[in-house]
Amino acid sequence: MKITALLVLKCDSRSDGSDPVILANATDVSHFGYFQRVTVKQFIVFVGRTVAKRTPPDQRHSVQHEEYKVHSYNRNGLCVVGFMDDHYPVRSAFSVLNKVMDEYQKCFGDSWRTIQADSTQPWPYLNDALTKFQDPGEADKLLKIQRELDETKIILHKTIDSVLERGEKLDSLVEKSSDLSAASQMFYKQAKKTNQCCTIL
Amino acid sequence: MKSVQSSSYRDRTHEFLSISERLRKSLPPPNAVVGVNSSGGVGGGGSRSSVAFQSEFNKRASKIGYGIHHTSQKLAKLAKLAKRTSVFDDPTKEIQELTAVIKQDITALNSAVVDLQLLCNSQNESENVSSDTTTHSTTVVDNLKNRLMSTTKEFKDVLTMRTENLKVHENRRQLFSATTSKEASNPFVRQRPLANKSTASSSNSPPPWANDSSNSSPLFQRKQADTESQPLIQQQNQQQQMVPLQDSYMQSRAEALHNVESTIHELGSIFTQLATMVSQQGELAIRIDENMEDTLANVEGAQGQLMRYLNSISSNRWLMIKIFFVLIVFLMIFLFFVA
Repeated sequence: MKITALLVLKCDSRSDGSDPVILANATDVSHFGYFQRVTVKQFIVFVGRTVAKRTPPDQRHSVQHEEYKVHSYNRNGLCVVGFMDDHYPVRSAFSVLNKVMDEYQKCFGDSWRTIQADSTQPWPYLNDALTKFQDPGEADKLLKIQRELDETKIILHKTIDSVLERGEKLDSLVEKSSDLSAASQMFYKQAKKTNQCCTIL
Repeated sequence: MKSVQSSSYRDRTHEFLSISERLRKSLPPPNAVVGVNSSGGVGGGGSRSSVAFQSEFNKRASKIGYGIHHTSQKLAKLAKLAKRTSVFDDPTKEIQELTAVIKQDITALNSAVVDLQLLCNSQNESENVSSDTTTHSTTVVDNLKNRLMSTTKEFKDVLTMRTENLKVHENRRQLFSATTSKEASNPFVRQRPLANKSTASSSNSPPPWANDSSNSSPLFQRKQADTESQPLIQQQNQQQQMVPLQDSYMQSRAEALHNVESTIHELGSIFTQLATMVSQQGELAIRIDENMEDTLANVEGAQGQLMRYLNSISSNRWLMIKIFFVLIVFLMIFLFFVA
């Protein structure tokens, strides 16, 4: 489950075909060969632009491309695109996009509307987000909660098993102690008997 | 006895003839024979009513048998319909109508069989009919009851089968609807102009970036051309699949929340169980404690006894010495006397 790239673009809702402008870009192409990385980056840029252009405003999209899923979320002309693999849960993907979008708007306000050309400045938050959100649990609180609850349930199951064992041991202890008390009673009676019968001597 | 017979003897032949004609018209011959037998056997006043009873009984029995046969036929039809249901072509209305009809029939037949049994019992108790008639009527009633019971059981089986089928279809439908988000994107892939197909065809399985950069630019240009060529279709398709995608997104969120909630519930119940078990085991611990205290008391008592014994043993030596003394004295006296 990994994210390969996150892109922030500015999408014009005009349908005159102008390509969206890239505002921020973060890619993780470490698993491609050294010579393919540039190609991959260009490819990502291109696909991201296309998908962003096709995403109507205030809509979420998921496109399957070979073994990758491209998720895009367009809100008021600001579009965030993410390239994830098939295993990444869709909901977490969209929560990642949501977070990135909120962060961007917090950082840059509305200044992105005036940008006309691809900005090449790296935005550190995006790079950090890319590494942080490799684990879908980080972005999606629901997933994290679900995971923790499942772990807790497992722990509780183990606890119940150990409590059952304890119950068994307590059972055996009860038996042994009752045997012990019976034996001690017999001992007492024997002692009384021997005491009474030898007073003659 | 004889006088009663002679006094009750009346010539009712013409009545008998009229009855037999009526029987012949309304009932099959064996019943008329039975009616004749019973009427001949009783003689006197009971003949007409017994014949009437018998014919009534037989009429009802035959009606009930006929009804059961019809119902089982309808049930077979219903079973065929229920087996035939597929996900899309579901003759729900027919099935429901048929189910309602069959249910009505079965309840009516049930009440009819109960009435028949009452009639049979009253007839057996009130009239002095031959034992053959009673056994025959009871056998007929039992037979009808058994058949009705088997029909009802078949009906229940068919209903359970239908609910199972519905459940399977629901699951399949959910599967399908869960994958509409994937399918929503797949049409994307297909519409995504054969841009993917062209890349696939040009570069087979490895992603296009496996090609070296010399191929990349013509690839990109081709892709761009292709993508430009079919934007309109994509637009339409996108709009069509937009709503399901949004829905599925929201639905998946709602589902996740539900799961979380139910997991928390389960955890709560597990905790409760845990608490119960621990409290039960607390009782066990208390029992163990009591047992140990008993043991302690017993052992202490036994120890006291043994101490007393020890004391008595050690203090009784004086007595023992005295006794031995007396014994030795007697021995001496004996020795003196003998020797």
